[in-house]
Amino acid sequence: MTAPSVTGADAPKRAGAGLETDPASFRDPSGVVYRRDGTLFRQISEAYAPNWELLLSSGLHADLVGRGWLLPHEEAAIDQRLDESAWRVIRPLELDFISYPYEWTFGQLRDAALLTLSVQSRAMAAGMMLKDASAYNIQFHEGRPVLIDALSFERADEDAPWIAYRQFCQHFLAPLALMALRDVRCGLMLRDFIDGIPLDMAAGLLPATSRLRFGLATHLHLHSRAQRTSTRPAAADRAAQVKLSRGRLEALLDSLRSAVEGLRWEPTGTEWAEYGETTSYSQAAAESKARLVRQMLDRTDGDWVWDLGANTGYFSRLAADMGRRVVAVDGDAGAAERHYRYLRETDGTSVLPLVIDLANPSPALGWAHRERRSLVERANADVLVALALVHHLAIGNNVTLPLVSRFFAQLGRAAIVEFVPKSDPRVARMLATRADVFPNYSIDGFREAFSADWELVDEQPIEDSERTLFLFRRR
Amino acid sequence: MVLGYIDIGSGSLIIQALIAGLAAVPFFFRRQLGRVLAVVRRDEPQTRERVQR
Repeated sequence: MTAPSVTGADAPKRAGAGLETDPASFRDPSGVVYRRDGTLFRQISEAYAPNWELLLSSGLHADLVGRGWLLPHEEAAIDQRLDESAWRVIRPLELDFISYPYEWTFGQLRDAALLTLSVQSRAMAAGMMLKDASAYNIQFHEGRPVLIDALSFERADEDAPWIAYRQFCQHFLAPLALMALRDVRCGLMLRDFIDGIPLDMAAGLLPATSRLRFGLATHLHLHSRAQRTSTRPAAADRAAQVKLSRGRLEALLDSLRSAVEGLRWEPTGTEWAEYGETTSYSQAAAESKARLVRQMLDRTDGDWVWDLGANTGYFSRLAADMGRRVVAVDGDAGAAERHYRYLRETDGTSVLPLVIDLANPSPALGWAHRERRSLVERANADVLVALALVHHLAIGNNVTLPLVSRFFAQLGRAAIVEFVPKSDPRVARMLATRADVFPNYSIDGFREAFSADWELVDEQPIEDSERTLFLFRRR
Repeated sequence: MVLGYIDIGSGSLIIQALIAGLAAVPFFFRRQLGRVLAVVRRDEPQTRERVQR
């Protein structure tokens, strides 16, 4: 298993012995990301040198790293370069797991947007600006958003407009507005539009009342109209002449910040948002389940736990309290948002909640399917925790048990899986309104199906319930 | 002016200047108000920080 790189897109192309360029970094001529004998490097081109030197000499780099807003790097020897065009080589801090904006909760995308604006403000104070405002340049590291691309800055000419303005609106403001004012599931549109939601589309989908908000009326609606007329030849000449005083640029950023801060979404009414408080088993069963999960986790090794169907994160926190780092996946935007808010309030740093439907997990996307990796390509789980999940996949989505077993085996090398039989009230309710076409859905059928990919380590009944916990090790 | 490596959009640049002009009116008014209030309240650093955010 290879650890993913900072800018994503693994499954890399071989450029020489032990040398692999990152397929997600080709757009930026400032510097290529690559891997040499497994170590992540980035080379800085000659053309970017003045910007890099200003970033360091102005103190902006130290300021941002000190605030935890920019991922740090180490200088590397020039002979680690990828090719002759290198001016300098750095070794960025490598993140173990990369997530994408279409997997974030509303609050995560909002925090990422606010961080981008904060970074831009600090850059302006240092005479620089963000030359791109891509949501993919933000990752969640120890519970907080952080900019991962140190080559995102360039010297700001006096009276220069913000060249990443359009990208900010497409990557952040448009999806946030759609999520807050139309439907939170609009966040998934970022999967189809890899450079952010086209503004004309956002303007068309937003409710008419969105025009009553100054920020949305201007940055989205008016902005989208301006793009329509911008195809005239004269527009390019005019655009090149645009000047924006420092004060007005500050006003623009302040207005963007107000627009983002004015967008709120409360997780109520979605399918599982209240599920956490209304569990379907007794207190004794809940205590027994927590005890057994803890015991089984204790018998596994490795840092990374993936909590599949994490809901609002009770068992994710249980794993985090045992010193594990957790990717907490749930298909419900409300549950994941609540989970994220709880972590923010409690300064939880070990858990990353994400909105992912396991019946339709994130695919590989972008140029040649290599810019954004699929969930399976990013799998780094030492232990999977799948509690009260299998019946949703098997009965809710008609995925047969052997297929569930095989998919789990692609994600992790150990698994703690709960089996809920048909006689359980929750499953009985799922079957009440449909034909029972699941003759193999039984504890024996489950054991049999999982034995193809997994070695059974332990099996324990959950007290005061008909449920069973299994601990597996991948074959 | 040298433009960026991403397509920044002619329309986006032109409208940016206009929107910044619109946003500047309340922005500077708030900033001035903040300064006046700061003098009145004599808690200048805190207020200035909030306004400049």
